[in-house]
Amino acid sequence: MLAEIGIVFQALALAASIYATIAAFLSARRHSERLLVSARSAALLTFPLMLGAAGVLLMALINQQYQISYVWQVTDPSTPLFYRVTALWGSQQGSLLFWNVTMSGFAFASLLLNWRENHRLMPYVIVFQMAALAFFAGISLLMESPFARYWVTQPAPSLPPVVEAHMFIPTGAEAPPMFVQPGGDGFFQQGLAQTANGLNPLLRHFGMIIHPPMLYLGFVGFLVPFAYAMAALASGDLTTNWIKATRRWTLIAWLFLSLGLILGGRWAYDVLGWGGYWGWDPVENAAFIPWLVGTAFLHSVLIQEKRGMLKTWNMFLVIFTFSAVLFGTFATRSGLIESVHSFAQSAIGMPMFLFWLIMTVIGVWLIMWRRGRGELRDEHGFAGWLSRETLFVLNNVVFVVLALVVFWGSFGMPIFSVTFMDTEITLGAAYYSLVTVPLFAAMYILMGVAPLAAWGAMTMRRMGKALVVPLALTAVGVVIAALLGARSAGTLFGYGIVLLAGIVAVYEIYRGARARMVTSKESLPVALLTIFGRNRRRYGGFIVHLGIVIIGIGVIGSTAYQLETIQQLGRTGEAQIGGYSVRYDSLELGQIAEDGRLMDIANVTVLRDGQPVAQIRPRVDHYPSMAVTIPGVHSTIEGDVYVLLSGYNEIDGSTATLHIYVNPLINFVWWGGLILIVGTLISAWKDERAPERVRTAATTRGGMQWGVPQAGQ
Amino acid sequence: MAQAVWEKPAGEAQAPVVSRERLKFLIGGILILGAILYLIFSGMQAGARFFITVDEVVNDANYAGQTVRVSGAVLGDTIRYDEATLTIEFTVVHIPEGQDVTGETLFNAVNDPNATQMRVRVEGQTKPDLLRHEAQAIMTGTYGADGVFHVSELNLKCPSRFIEGAPGEMTEAGS
Repeated sequence: MLAEIGIVFQALALAASIYATIAAFLSARRHSERLLVSARSAALLTFPLMLGAAGVLLMALINQQYQISYVWQVTDPSTPLFYRVTALWGSQQGSLLFWNVTMSGFAFASLLLNWRENHRLMPYVIVFQMAALAFFAGISLLMESPFARYWVTQPAPSLPPVVEAHMFIPTGAEAPPMFVQPGGDGFFQQGLAQTANGLNPLLRHFGMIIHPPMLYLGFVGFLVPFAYAMAALASGDLTTNWIKATRRWTLIAWLFLSLGLILGGRWAYDVLGWGGYWGWDPVENAAFIPWLVGTAFLHSVLIQEKRGMLKTWNMFLVIFTFSAVLFGTFATRSGLIESVHSFAQSAIGMPMFLFWLIMTVIGVWLIMWRRGRGELRDEHGFAGWLSRETLFVLNNVVFVVLALVVFWGSFGMPIFSVTFMDTEITLGAAYYSLVTVPLFAAMYILMGVAPLAAWGAMTMRRMGKALVVPLALTAVGVVIAALLGARSAGTLFGYGIVLLAGIVAVYEIYRGARARMVTSKESLPVALLTIFGRNRRRYGGFIVHLGIVIIGIGVIGSTAYQLETIQQLGRTGEAQIGGYSVRYDSLELGQIAEDGRLMDIANVTVLRDGQPVAQIRPRVDHYPSMAVTIPGVHSTIEGDVYVLLSGYNEIDGSTATLHIYVNPLINFVWWGGLILIVGTLISAWKDERAPERVRTAATTRGGMQWGVPQAGQ
Repeated sequence: MAQAVWEKPAGEAQAPVVSRERLKFLIGGILILGAILYLIFSGMQAGARFFITVDEVVNDANYAGQTVRVSGAVLGDTIRYDEATLTIEFTVVHIPEGQDVTGETLFNAVNDPNATQMRVRVEGQTKPDLLRHEAQAIMTGTYGADGVFHVSELNLKCPSRFIEGAPGEMTEAGS
């Protein structure tokens, strides 16, 4: 019964989204307000309907309805309640449904919040949002149903019965037994509850529980700016309206995507047991590419707001951000690319590929059409090579090239070689480190220089003057880094450019506050609050830069100075690594965890200068289907001692093989991530409305420009 | 605001300056493009790995000594692990091309007596949990003159786990 309700919810949501697409399109052609309102109502309705479907699946998971094949795949009777809930996005079908919920949710929120201000864009916004939703709702309902159930059918009287998953009840089918007593003499020896798979053990981690929803929110969130950009192109309202309507949506999507990437890295570090957090795996890259293009867009859109430039370019960026989301979804969900965590092979590859292609082609065609009509002409040309515009364009070049090289490495080259060279060539880690490191270096340099450049044009001398203080402080920082042990020219250069970017960010915040203190006689804290309140995006942006800087410090430290050793130790045996001693004390075999898994745990002491500094317990978790090696970690500001129990005497624990990593400064990656999130939140927060007279003063041609004039800007 | 000061007045007198600026942008653009292409090509030379089958490694001399990626099915009986020296040795068999690697392909591969076999050696690594009979090993390394494939990076997959589909084992006693 539950499954039928779920299917009905999904079918209604699909119907509503199709209706909304058509009605909104007709309303645009016929200028019919009545049709538009009707389309909007249908579009709004999709969210509660999708929520209903997800609620039904959740109930089925909690109530252990193993006849539903999805429930059978991702849970078993020993699964605790918490993981039953998170199993909602634990595998393909459920995560697609979850994707639909978030997509309809974003459409719902944007149609409610932007309805009045952006009325002219609304018809096509609904068209594109609902077309995308209809596609994913259709896939989920018809091809990857989370509500398919197992049925027993008899193909022919002479043949044994078959158990298969079907969405509709086949004629003459019966439900398989839920539980069979041992020794039962019927056809079935075991019931569904006894054979259920259970959630993949690797996914039982807090990072994995919130990482997928965050990523989906990030992916799906880019639908909003995409739909507005397409609506601007389709409707001809090519002012900055669509940008103003979507800049916060873009930031929110970017926030979730960043959070998803960081949590994914943390999960890999804590669970996958290879001592790292980023492996250039195709699935990771599929999420990283939209982040890169989206970051380029967040920057270049500022230029359009300030100077009316790069209009065509911005359209391309916003469309390709969502296009990258669709491509990544297609590549990871269809099993196109071999990857350590790729979803199962499935039939949805072709439709998803076509949908990606159609959306991208429509987008590009609309841009070229409007451009051909001269409607995307820039209002200013480039005035000088050191202007802020030019540096922002260079920043865009860096991000887009990064996106392209990552795409080429993970998808382009393998597909190209298979198609045209009759062999498969993959590009390994060496490719990524060689190609991306110089590009990331360029990113940090621009991050340090661009905020100091003025709009319009700037001379070398003025730039030199502005750089004196930050460069001097950077030099001090590099000397400190050298004293702390950084020796090679490469890492010192790396730390130099990363520090410069960070110092410039702090310096700019300080200059803003300083100007405020002079003009308004405010104290430093009040001045800081005021500038952050008045121009959240600018100063929030600097906080984001600081986050990226701190991540950079962590990445350089943990890649350039990582130490690694594998040693077999007897009891009280010690391994020496990077100034630490790691002592194997004892082994606890066969410990039973709450959910019934068995754990073999090593007791390990970390010593420094002969003094014990930490007790850690690396362990191996044994699940019926697989074993998972969970590291023991001693974390300090200097870095982690990361110990894996990778082998042991299984009878008495007399020896253990420890795989030990020392990862210097690695925690800066997580702290930087946190700061980045805070900065993005500041940027995305609703601006205080400026007093009336300031607003009037700031109003220039084409309506109110972003923000309020700031001292020192 | 600063932009008022730095705005250039539009006028015909400025035309040659603009074209000189244009030239600067053009040259800058070409230099950047060149640098990027150079980066990508050198990156591809360093990182490119042919992803080939066991048959090709063993029988095609072109691949000898080259770093390649190979996929093969693991024979469980052949796995030897020396914990003291951290050396793993095992034999993989050829997986036929042109199909997705499933539990069934792996089962067929290890039970095919005519399939090409290759001895594999991994050093400095502990035995992964997933290294077992009928696992798919994806190995990066070189095929030596000693007829052994020396692995620098080992990935393992067991596609038979977490398969989607009918719970077939319900009818098999004691599974």
